[in-house]
Amino acid sequence: MIHMMMELQLGLALPSIATTHHVRGFEFDLNNSYVYEPKDSDPSSWNINSYFGSSASVPGKCSTTNSSNGNKKRSCDDAFDYEQVRAVPPRTLPLFNWNSRYPDDEDDPRDLDNNSSFGSNKTVDDEDGVHVVGWPPIKNWRKKLCHQQHHIPGGRVKNNQAVVANNGSACGGRQSNSMYVKVKMEGVAIARKIDLTLYDSFETLTNTLIGMFGLWLEDSYDYQLTYQDREGDWLIAKDVPWSFEQEYSWTLVMLALQNFHSNSATPQFVQERRLIH
Amino acid sequence: MSYSSLPEDVLEHVFSFVQSDKDRNVISLVCKSWYEIERWCRRRIFVGNCYAVSPRMAIRRFPEVRSVELKGKPHFADFNLVPEGWGGYVYPWIRAMAGGYPWLEELKLKRMVVTDESLELIAKSLKNFKVLVLSSCEGFSTHGLAAIAADCKNLKELDLWESDVEDPSGNWLSKFPDTCTSLVSLNIACLGSEVSFSALERLVVRCPNLRTLRLNRAVPLEKLAHLLRQAPQLVELGTGTYSADLRPDIFSNLAGAFSGCKELKSLSGFWDVVPAYLPAVYSVCSGLTTLNLSYATIQSPDLIKLVSQCPKLQCLWVLDYIEDSGLEALAATCKDLRELRVFPSEPFGDEPNVSLTEQGLVLVSEGCPKLESVLYFCRRMSNDALVTIAKNRPSMIRFRLCIIDPQTPDYLTLEPLDVGFGAIVQHCKDLRRLSLSGLLTDRVFEYIGTYAKKLEMLSVAFAGESDLGLHHVLSGCDSLRKLEIMDCPFGDKALLANAAKLETMRSLWMSSCSVSFEACKLLGQKMPRLNVEVIDESGPPDSRPELPVKKLYIYRTVTGRRIDMPGFVWNVGEDSALRLS
Repeated sequence: MIHMMMELQLGLALPSIATTHHVRGFEFDLNNSYVYEPKDSDPSSWNINSYFGSSASVPGKCSTTNSSNGNKKRSCDDAFDYEQVRAVPPRTLPLFNWNSRYPDDEDDPRDLDNNSSFGSNKTVDDEDGVHVVGWPPIKNWRKKLCHQQHHIPGGRVKNNQAVVANNGSACGGRQSNSMYVKVKMEGVAIARKIDLTLYDSFETLTNTLIGMFGLWLEDSYDYQLTYQDREGDWLIAKDVPWSFEQEYSWTLVMLALQNFHSNSATPQFVQERRLIH
Repeated sequence: MSYSSLPEDVLEHVFSFVQSDKDRNVISLVCKSWYEIERWCRRRIFVGNCYAVSPRMAIRRFPEVRSVELKGKPHFADFNLVPEGWGGYVYPWIRAMAGGYPWLEELKLKRMVVTDESLELIAKSLKNFKVLVLSSCEGFSTHGLAAIAADCKNLKELDLWESDVEDPSGNWLSKFPDTCTSLVSLNIACLGSEVSFSALERLVVRCPNLRTLRLNRAVPLEKLAHLLRQAPQLVELGTGTYSADLRPDIFSNLAGAFSGCKELKSLSGFWDVVPAYLPAVYSVCSGLTTLNLSYATIQSPDLIKLVSQCPKLQCLWVLDYIEDSGLEALAATCKDLRELRVFPSEPFGDEPNVSLTEQGLVLVSEGCPKLESVLYFCRRMSNDALVTIAKNRPSMIRFRLCIIDPQTPDYLTLEPLDVGFGAIVQHCKDLRRLSLSGLLTDRVFEYIGTYAKKLEMLSVAFAGESDLGLHHVLSGCDSLRKLEIMDCPFGDKALLANAAKLETMRSLWMSSCSVSFEACKLLGQKMPRLNVEVIDESGPPDSRPELPVKKLYIYRTVTGRRIDMPGFVWNVGEDSALRLS
C-alpha cells in the first residue's frame, strides 16, 4: 500500500534539452514520466558538462515555472494533505520523538541496541564529554588543538581578567602540567603549596594534607576539604567528581581543612590569589 | 563571414580567454565543431565529486588538461559523520593520469584518501609536475612527501592544508635536491613532528621566489627571526609555536626580522602564543590583509591591540576570545573586512566561557560595508539581530551561523529563528551558502525556498518539523547544488516527490532523518543516474526495513555504482542500464 502511494508521488521528470520542462510538486505521477534519450551521438556529452565545472549549468534546468508561490503551495497542499502531516513538537534533543512516525513498531526487543534510536545521531562520550556525533560542526583538526591548548594552564580564559598564565605558563615554550594551589588550614598561620596533578583522589589528597599539617590520621575525620571557586563561593571538595576537579582545578583558590566542630560558616583567613606554577 | 567559419586556431585563441568552467561548458554546447575545439584546448578541470565521472572518461573528453581539481568525501566527513574507509581514493585517478596526462602540472585534492603509492606515482610519471595541494586529505606519510620532494624537479607549490600526515621518522625535507630553486609556496602547518630546521633553512635560502611559507608548530619561535631574514620577500607567513622565554634579545631580534618583511600580507600560526611577543608583528600590521588567529589562545585586550593596527584587513579568523568588545574594535578599524570566522574556544562546555554574543556580529555587520562571508559560533541569537544583520549587509554571500546548543530559540522572545533567517535570505539576494542553527520550524524552509534563488549550498541540523520543510528547499532553490542535513524529521515524501531535482544537484546528504529503506530503493531503481548510497555500520539496511536509514548519500553520476564501496555502504538501486565507459 505504501509502495503504491510512493510510486504515485514519485516525481520523475528528467532534465531535457528538447522539451520545456516543469518539475512539479506532488501531483506529478509515474504515468507521465519518460526516460531521457539524448540526441547527440555521444550520450554523455552534455551530461558530463555538469560534472566539469564549479557550477554546472544543466540545460533545461529543473525549475518550476509556476511563478507565483501560491500555485506551488496549493499543489503542495492538495497532494500532500497538509493537515495530516503531524507536526513534531519542538524538542530538546532528537532522541525521543520519532517513534510516532512508525506507530506499529513499538517495544521491539531488537530496539535495545544502538541501532534502534530512530533517527537519532549517535551520542559519544569521549574526551569532549557526552555529545552528538557531528555536532557542533568543528573539524577534527581544530578539536585536537582545542584539547592540547586546554592542558596548558591558562589555556582557559576568564572574561577580560588578566590571567596569570599569560605570562607564566608558556614560558620556556614548555607546557607546564603542574597545578599548584595554596592550602591553608584553619588555625594554622602558615600556608602550604601543593601540586594538584600529583593526586588522583580526594582521599590521597586529604591524607597528604593531613600529614603535611602534622595531624594524626584519626583526627582527620574532623576535618573537611573545602575550596573557593572563581565566584568566591566556598564549596565542599567532596561534592565534585575528581576529574572535574582536575579539569577545573585552576579555579581552586584555596583548599581549607576546616574543623567540623567550628561554628564559623566560612574559613576565617585572608583570601589569596591562586598560585599556578 | 559567419562565426562558424572562423579558422580553428582563431577560435581556440578566443576560447583561451574564457577561464570559467561554466562558460566553457556553454561554449562546448554551441555546435559540434566548437565542442571539439573547446575540448582540445581546455586546460583545467574541476570535478566536485570524484565519483560523478570516471578518470578515463575525463581524460578521453579533455585530452590536454594541465590542472585537475578533485573532491572526495562529503563535507560532513569533516565532522566525523563519514566512517573510515568510506572511499574517496585518488589512486585510480593518478594511475589514469600518469598515462593520460603526462604533462599534468597541477593537482588539487580535497577530502581524499591519498597514499604514498599515489604520491610516488606522481613523482615518477609526471615530469612537469608543479603544484600539489592536499586539503583535508589523509592516508599518506612523509615517505610520499619525500618522493615528491626528490623527483619533482619543477615543484612550485606544496600545500598540505589541514591534512592528516603520518610521520615515521625520516627527513623528507632534505630530499629536495640542491638544484630545486623553484618553490613559491610551502605549507607544512599540519605536520605533527619536527622537520629538520637546517634543511628548511637551506631550502628557503635557495628559493628566491618563495612567497608563502607556513611552518608547523614544531618550529620554535627563536628560529623564526632567522628564517625571516633569509626570506624578506615573503607575502604569506605561518609561524610555528609563538612562545619562548621572555627575553628582550629574542624579542628585538624577532621584531627586527618582521620589520624587514615589507611584502607581508598574510599571517597565521600563533600556536601557544605568549602575548608579550605579539608586538613583534606590529610593524607589518598596516599591510596585513589576512590574519588567522584561530589557534591563538589570547584574550580580547591583546586581540584588540593587534587588530586595531590592521586597517587593511580583509579576512580575519579568530577564536571567540575576541568577544563582543573585540568585534566592536574590529568594526571600527577594519573597514575593508570581507570575511570573518569566529571559532569556539570551548565548544563542548555547557556554559559560555566568553562574552561573545550576537551583538558582536551585529556590530561587525554595521561597521564593515564589504562584509560578505561569515562563519560564527555563538551561544545565543535573536530574530532581531538576524534581521538587522540582513538589512545591514544585503551583499552577504556566505552566512554560516552555528548556535552551539541545538534548537536554541530566540533568547529574547523564545520563538523559533525562522523570521531571522528568513530575513537573511530575503535581503541577501546573492547568498550562495547558508548554514542554519537554532530552533527552526518548516517556516524557515518556506522562506528559503521562496527567496534563496542563488543558494548553492545549504547545511541543516536539528531543524524543521515535517517533509514540507525539505520539499520547500528542493522545489524552490533553483541553484541548489549541495544539501546536507542531519537530525531533521524529513522523510520519504519530499525526497521522492523531488527526485528529478536530485539530478540537478551534486549531492544530498541526510543522516539521522526519517527516510525509509524502501524509499531509497525506489529512488535508486527509478533514477539510474543517481547513486543512492546507504551507510550503515551495523548491518545490511534491508534486514531492518522498518527502521529509517541512518545515513544516506545521494549523488549524480554517469558511471553507475562505484566499485570501491566498503562493507558498510550499500548502493540501493539496480544496476544502471546507462552505464558508460
